[in-house]
Formats: sequence, C-alpha cells, structure tokens
Amino acid sequence: MQSNHPIEIPEWHYEWKAKQRYKPGQTVWASPALAMLDGRPIAFLGGYDQTLHALDLVNTRILWRRMTNAEIVAPPAVGYIRGRLAVFLASNDRTLYALDAQTGTTLWTRELEPARPTLGEAEMTAPLLFEERLYVGGFVYDRSIARNEQRGWLYVLHPEDGTLRARVEVSRGYVSEPIGFRIHGTPHVAICARKGLLQCFTVETATPQLRWTYQMPHEVMGAPAVWDQDDKPVLVLGSKFGNLIALDAATGRERWKRMAGNWFDNSACIGVVEGEPVVFAGSHDYNVYALRAADGHLIWRRALGGEIYSAPAFFHLEGRPHLLIAALDNHLHLLDARTGRIVTSYYTGRPIWDKINKGENRWGSPAVVEAGSYSVLIHGAFNNTVYVLPLGRPATLQARARSFRGLWLSLGAVALLFFSALPLLYSPQNRNPSNNRDSHASSRPYSGIP
Amino acid sequence: MNTGPSSAFDRLETFLSDATGNIKIVERALLGMEGSYVELLTILALGLLAILPILFPPRHRQRWRMFNQILGVIVFIFVVFTCLGVFGMIRNFHRGLTEIGRENIVALYYCSVPAVILTTSMLFGPAFCGWICPTGALQEWIGTLTARWNLRRKEQGWPFSRLAFAGALVLMAVFILWMIRLSVTRLFFIEDASIYWSEVLVLITLLVTWNTARWDRPLRRLRWVSFGLVTAASFLSLRVTSPVHLGFAKVYDPASLLSTGMVILAALLIPHVWCRYLCPWRAAIAWAGRCSVRTIVHDPSRCVSCGACDRVCGVESVHNGHIEPAECHFCMKCVDRCPQNALTVVDDWNRPCG
Repeated sequence: MQSNHPIEIPEWHYEWKAKQRYKPGQTVWASPALAMLDGRPIAFLGGYDQTLHALDLVNTRILWRRMTNAEIVAPPAVGYIRGRLAVFLASNDRTLYALDAQTGTTLWTRELEPARPTLGEAEMTAPLLFEERLYVGGFVYDRSIARNEQRGWLYVLHPEDGTLRARVEVSRGYVSEPIGFRIHGTPHVAICARKGLLQCFTVETATPQLRWTYQMPHEVMGAPAVWDQDDKPVLVLGSKFGNLIALDAATGRERWKRMAGNWFDNSACIGVVEGEPVVFAGSHDYNVYALRAADGHLIWRRALGGEIYSAPAFFHLEGRPHLLIAALDNHLHLLDARTGRIVTSYYTGRPIWDKINKGENRWGSPAVVEAGSYSVLIHGAFNNTVYVLPLGRPATLQARARSFRGLWLSLGAVALLFFSALPLLYSPQNRNPSNNRDSHASSRPYSGIP
Repeated sequence: MNTGPSSAFDRLETFLSDATGNIKIVERALLGMEGSYVELLTILALGLLAILPILFPPRHRQRWRMFNQILGVIVFIFVVFTCLGVFGMIRNFHRGLTEIGRENIVALYYCSVPAVILTTSMLFGPAFCGWICPTGALQEWIGTLTARWNLRRKEQGWPFSRLAFAGALVLMAVFILWMIRLSVTRLFFIEDASIYWSEVLVLITLLVTWNTARWDRPLRRLRWVSFGLVTAASFLSLRVTSPVHLGFAKVYDPASLLSTGMVILAALLIPHVWCRYLCPWRAAIAWAGRCSVRTIVHDPSRCVSCGACDRVCGVESVHNGHIEPAECHFCMKCVDRCPQNALTVVDDWNRPCG
C-alpha cells in the first residue's frame, strides 16, 4: 500500500495473548490488509484467536477488535460501501462479515453455509472486492456418512448488503482466494482448487460463466498472481510439485513452465524491475526465484536459511525495488529485487508450536506501507507477535544469526571453552596409549567386542 | 539487473547450488504424494542397510562392506532429507518420542531409524559405523590417499610430523578464510551450529598432529561431551546440525560446505578423525553394542602377534588382538586380515554383558 502522506510510523511489536489454545496446523497470523483511514495507515489482520485486529500503525494502538466464531486464515478485503470504508472478513465460521473500518461495528453478516449438526470445519478464503461485487471462496464439508459432501464454492455477494447473488461449485476440496482481472474490458475472476484445477469465469452476468479450466500438475496452496500486460493478463501459479506455471489468462494456455526443487507453498508476486515485469516466488527448496514474466527466464535465485513459506511482498524503497519474504529459519528477509542480494534480515522468533506443519499451513505473508523514507513492513510472525518495522531506518529487531560480530565472538567463546576443558580431559593414566593396551590386555585376557 | 556471478567464489557457489539444488531425487519423484510415503521409503532403505551386514557372507566381506557403504551414501544423499545424520538422529529421536500420540507417523519416522540402528547394534555389534555411516565411509575413502603415510607414522608411535602439523595449519587457514567470506557475504544459515563443531575439529587436529601420543586418547572423551551437547540442544529445541550436514541437506549451504570440507581434509591427517573425537552417535552406538550377541573373539593360542590387526584398524581399537569395545567400528578388517584366523566373529546369545 502506498501512503501519499509522509507520516512517521514507529516500530511496534504487537504481542497479543490469545484466549484460544493454539492447535498445530493453524494459522498464527493471517496476512494483513492495509488501508488509509483519516490519513493514517491501519492494518487489519486476524488469526487462530478468531479475532480481527485493527491496528493503528501511527499511534501504535488497537483501533478495535472483532471476534468471530472460528479461526481466521485469510486477510480481509477493504473497500467502500456508500462512502464508508468497510472491512470484509471471511471467518472459518462460514460467515462473511462487513465491518465499519473506523469502529469495527457490523454493517452486515452473511452465513454462507447454513449450520447443520453434522457440518465439519470450513475454510474460507480472502474476499475479493471487484467490479462492485464481493467474491469469496470457501470449503465446507459434512461429517455424516450419509451426506458426505465436500465442496469448494465460489460465492458472489452484493457488497452493500451481503445478498448472495450466486454460488458456483469449483471443487470437492479447498479453494484458493479468487483474483480479478480484465480481458479486453471484460471482467474475469479466476479461482484455483487445492487439487490443482484452475478455473476462470467471466463475471459480466449475475452468475459467473466458466471460460476455461487448467489442471495444475499437483496441489496448489497459493492463489494465482496476475500481471496485466497490454490488456493481455498473465496468471502465474506454483504447485506442490514445484512447478511454476504462467498461463495466458484469456485462453488458459501455458506460456511457460519452470521447475523448482520443492513446493511452492504460497502465491507468487509480480513486480516491475528496470522496466521489465518479473515474477518472484519462494519455494520449499529454500530459494527465492526471480523469473522474467515474459518467458520465465531465470534472472536470479537466492537461497535463504529455510523453507520459504510466505508470498513475497514487492515494493520500492528509496526508488529501488525490494522484496520481503519470510522463511522457516525464523527470519524475515529483505532482498534487493534486482540482484537477490540480502539487504537485511529480521529475526522474527520461534514458532509457538515446535513442530511446523510444513506445506499444510496457510501462512501469513508480510505487507508494506510505502511512505518514502517512512516505509514500514507489517508481518504477523508465527511467534504470536505482529511486527511493524521501519524499512531503511534502524530497527531494534535485528537479525540474530547474521551478525558479523556475533559470529566471531561465538567462535572465540567456543575456542576458549575448548582450551579451558582440556585439563579436565587429560589425565596422566592415558598419557601413553601403550600403557592402556597393557592394562586392557591384562585385565581381559580373552577379550572381544562386548 | 543481475548479470550473473562475478568472482571465482561466486561461480563455485553457483555451481554447488545448482548441483545440490535438486539432489533429493527420490523425494522429488514422490513430491506429489504425501510426505509419509517419502519417509516410509527412507525407513525401508535404512532398515535394509542395517540388515545387509548381517546377511553378507564372510567371503569377500570387505567388498560387500564397501558395496553397503556406497549404498549408504547413495541413500543418505539422494533419499534422506529430514536430517538423519549423526546429530539429526539424536535430535529427531527425542522429537519423535515427544510426538507419540500426537503425530504417530512423524513419531514412527523419527524414532524408527535410530531405534533400528541401536537395536541392531545391541544384537549384531556397532556395524552401523563400519558398514553404513556415510560420514565414516567418506573419511575411510578419503583416508586411503594418505593411508601409507599414516600407517608409517602409526608404526613409529605417531612422532611429530612437520608435514602433518603444516596440514593442520592449512586446515585452520581454510577455516578462517571461509569464515571471513561467510561473515562478509552474511550467507550462513540455520546450519550455523555445524561451524562450531568444525572449529573444534580444527583445534583437535592441531593438537593431535602436534602431539598424538599425548592427546589422542584424552580427546576421544569429547564424543560424550558432543553427545551431551546435542542431547541438551534437542531438549531445548535448538537446531544443531552435524558438520557433514551438506550431504543430507536439500540445498547448498556454505556453512555446511565448510564443515564437510573440514572433516574431509582432517581425515587426511588423522584417520577417522570425526569418529574418533567428536561423533556423538558413535558414543551412543558403543554404549548400545556393549552387550551385543555378535562379537569378535580373539584366540590367543592362534595369535602370533604379527600386528596385522593393529595395522589395519583405522581407529586404533585393536592392540595385539585385543579389541577396545568403545572404539571398534565392527568393520571386521582385523578378522579378514588375520593370517592365523585368531580373530573370529561369534554369535553368543549367552554372553555376559560388559
């Protein structure tokens, strides 16, 4: 998000003690959604505590909190309803909430799937506000054997009152968040099933009309990234097989395909570097890939210290393109988008749960408020803290593992420990190995391997 | 835009990064399946490796052993991906125990490999070290380059050798230079802990090459210190990886490359240097093998004290036919080399422990 007002945003570590017990596999913090409210940037984000938090980044205070009835795994969408800034939130309680961004009061709610005693857990995606309609994906299943329904839906709602205008079954499983784009002026929405079926709909009419489908080689965890080039949009999507595939959004035909060493666990992002659109994606093979959007040519690749779980955030800092990306080495890395050089890394703490469910979680990704020299990043880390950190200015949260001085000091300490322990190891009895042999032989004349 | 690597170091790192980037071919082939299948395959492969030494016939035993070691290296490099190295086994064993009842497949995976190795060691001796361990195999193979030189030094009672000490100084110089590079490029990762183990390895190499007779035995106690540190780290959920993590890692990691390089270079100066002084798993296996059913038995009536068994042992665990249980890798070279057949492998289910 870009801020036109140069407001100083201070560093802030928002620690929130949730009342709910964290269960492995849950999203600790979902990605934040950002909006300007009365000239101040506000971050909206939820997590396993079932609560949406509105954080006033300038005054470092909570604007409001709104509790739902289930975990929140996806960021909300922000848009205007009758001139009022509203936050649209899909919670896993199968309900879509429209909240006043200023106060958090409910504008409307819509239960997308009526409650039944046998209804299992649901997983809702981030909503999309596009062409005066609200799109949201959701997976619901029924636990009863008789009604073993597992369905992934694309819901279309009216943003002003939440009226359900249409719903289309897109999968028998989880679905990714919908994305919107225009092809020759015609609005389209694409949504991908976790099982890999990418579907593109024209949304001119009340009910979305299927235009094309594309089956990805394997499961897909992220949403497609879209790049609109001369009204010929390109969709880029990674799979759990390690493929990164670019598709012509008009036809669904493959433009190029590249292979990484492991899963793509989240969405890719596309940014312009030196006049050229570049696809950035992080993989479970520890690498961040920068590929030319036109043909998939590898521009650079940078290995980080762990599996990369977040979607990259692309932004400009002092006129230079940068990337923010989080990895399972518990660091948030700031990279130069032109070369892949690591500018700095922030230690964002250890997970609140010791066993990371790699590849099965929906991870939160960082976001950036671009405000010139006052730019900040916002990242809900898996140690339960939301970090608001200044970019291009000193931050108290520094990289722990990458300090030059720390490395040499620790090496010196290890050497010191080693030499100080030597007298403890050395004793006159074992000074000469031949003495040992004799004693060993005499005490055990018929020795073998015990 | 980046125009590609510039320095020789960069080119080397790019090459290594490309070479190791997709090395886990079995995992890649099974990426589309659930993780459990990959893990199950790993368990099966390692289980097979653990059982093969029991099945191989005495004839051409050393060839079979090398075949098993090659198989072990292949499995560890191309199949295993969740760090089942000498440190990882201890760490993951603890982790697996904590997962029982919560995630049983993870518990099974993490516990089964160390459990299989410890159980086979209890029954059939510490064959993992001599027959499977890729780190041991790597040191043994690299050690053949300087085997004659080291044997001469050993027969002379390890006198001070300027060449060996110079080699240790070169080792230290390589370590410091690589560390400077790492601290400048700031490219060291979660495998950083391996740096400290390789630092200690460099210091040990210096000490031992300076005065082998004085320091060889006392420093072997460090294995237990190493074991204690790795165990403590696993209880504290700290990630500590072994210096030979490079072989098990999915990606190129400059810190692991340095550490693996240190082990290889040090093994040229001191045979099986890692196993002798720092391997924590060696300490655990020696403990497990105390009461093994399978033993090497020395018959003094046949022994002519020719010293063939002493010479052939890489870890100096044989002295005139007597074998030090805590040091033996159960490679059975001494058995195969003995001209009088004074050493024999015996399965004794009634053998008293100790």
